[in-house]
Amino acid sequence: MTTQHAPDSMYRSTEGLGIWEHRGKVAAVGIGHSPTARRWDETPETSMGAWSILALRRAMEDAGVSPDQVDGLVVVPETTTGANWPEGKALPMDVVNAFNTTSDPLDGVAQLSTEWLLKNMPELTNVKFTMYAPVCMSAALAVAAQAVGDGLTHTCLVLKSWHNLEGRYYQGGANAEDAIPGTPAIRNLWGAPASYGTALQFAEYCRKYGKTHDMMAPFMENSRRNGLMFPEGYWAQHRPERLTEEDYLVARWIAKPASLYDNDIPIMVSGAYLFTTAERAQSMKRKPVYILNHATSTTQPRSLTPTLDEVEEDTARTARKIYEGAGITAKDLSFENMYDGFSLFHQFHLEGLGYRGIKFGEALDFYQTDISIEGPNPVSPSGGNIGSGRSRFWMHTDCIQQLQGRAGDRQVTGVKPEIAVSGGPMPTGGSFTVWSATPD
Amino acid sequence: MTILISFDIDGTLEVGDPPGVLTLDMMRIAQDKGFWIGSCSDRTLSGQRDLWELHEIRVDFVATKPMLPEIMSRFKADGYYHIGDREDLDKRYALAAGFEFLWPHEAVLMPWFLPEGSPETG
Repeated sequence: MTTQHAPDSMYRSTEGLGIWEHRGKVAAVGIGHSPTARRWDETPETSMGAWSILALRRAMEDAGVSPDQVDGLVVVPETTTGANWPEGKALPMDVVNAFNTTSDPLDGVAQLSTEWLLKNMPELTNVKFTMYAPVCMSAALAVAAQAVGDGLTHTCLVLKSWHNLEGRYYQGGANAEDAIPGTPAIRNLWGAPASYGTALQFAEYCRKYGKTHDMMAPFMENSRRNGLMFPEGYWAQHRPERLTEEDYLVARWIAKPASLYDNDIPIMVSGAYLFTTAERAQSMKRKPVYILNHATSTTQPRSLTPTLDEVEEDTARTARKIYEGAGITAKDLSFENMYDGFSLFHQFHLEGLGYRGIKFGEALDFYQTDISIEGPNPVSPSGGNIGSGRSRFWMHTDCIQQLQGRAGDRQVTGVKPEIAVSGGPMPTGGSFTVWSATPD
Repeated sequence: MTILISFDIDGTLEVGDPPGVLTLDMMRIAQDKGFWIGSCSDRTLSGQRDLWELHEIRVDFVATKPMLPEIMSRFKADGYYHIGDREDLDKRYALAAGFEFLWPHEAVLMPWFLPEGSPETG
């Protein structure tokens, strides 16, 4: 079976599409997570491939679905954005050979194919639909939701995995070469940290609206607090350390005004969900969480990095797409779980959504109010990447768990969890999902 | 003669992630000998305090890397040393702040960390 990348037609990326044709007819039921680790210890048991299999099996078990019932698999083949296998480093053949292999020896180690997964999960006997989505779980969810809605699969596993190797993130791959082809040659020439674009936007945001970096502190504290109540996450599992206002304010700059803690910590982790039709979901083990819409932004900036104006235009446009397809307004959101890795762009997502009526330039003031899970205006109850490490999927897990009423200590209590939105990664490029406790 | 030693944690101390070659007992020995000791790490200040409380070491300071100049101004010592495992995040910050810098594998050889009465210390 050859797996294709999802065609553009599967994403809802323009305005004016109306209500999503499958609104409320697709549901998330099962969740599966691997453990987390800061870096790979180079054993087969903790390899990205092994943890991918574990996450998929846990998602099926969580949904009460037997492997032979699964007929679809949507996977993100990239498993890092900055931990490339070092050139010249010997292949870990003991790990490679511990699994059934494909033509790429790094399959299951530093990238992931559906072929590798199916070869190593013989119990998935009925998978007839496979598809790749780029980079993030957010995109994979849009693809899986559309595929189930379109009838391409009725019981579909969705997977995103991350590996992390020893050494520094973003120092290898093309960044370690003497020459870089194409546009990145201009963008990367100066060796700027990954967060520099967001830092520029945030600096302009502070200038335009008269805000300061210090005003981020309550959001950061709240995110780590929520993350420490997320048992699947890195900080909760390995370093249950709070992040106080003092901690945040004395952190060193990475790309001023982006400090160390405004950048998420790279980790190893796999996450999987089981999507199915609303009908089939009724007979599964967990309460279905219905998908009201998915929306995607594919906006290209005019220059090397988006300006604040472009960001604001696009987050507003994305929100219109989100609400239009779901048939809801901002007032319907019980909470929001937009992406945060880099923390300094979370407020762009928030303001674009008009969450709780806030307008451009008001989010940092909003952060000074009660944004906790106990209050009436929960912000990022998942804690996001800030709270649990770089996965780009905690916000999705949290939305499902909150609406299923099984978010544990993180369960929102100040609002009734009915409708939520999650997605990312970037304010000007990403995919977003609207979740609901009921199908209509 | 009073010496102040600033310890990086990750990659430097045995409790770091990854673990380093310097042990907590070495810190205790240096402190018993009258050195000012403390940690200077990318870990949060609260996380560093919790770590020392857990291991029952009463450090004289906790700091982030940019705080080294402040540490120097707070403690009047005859020598200031920072021990760390990173060129960019330890050596550069240390030298810029006026500290002497030691890599962990150099630091373990210093007589500061030998118990009193050891042959090397006379």
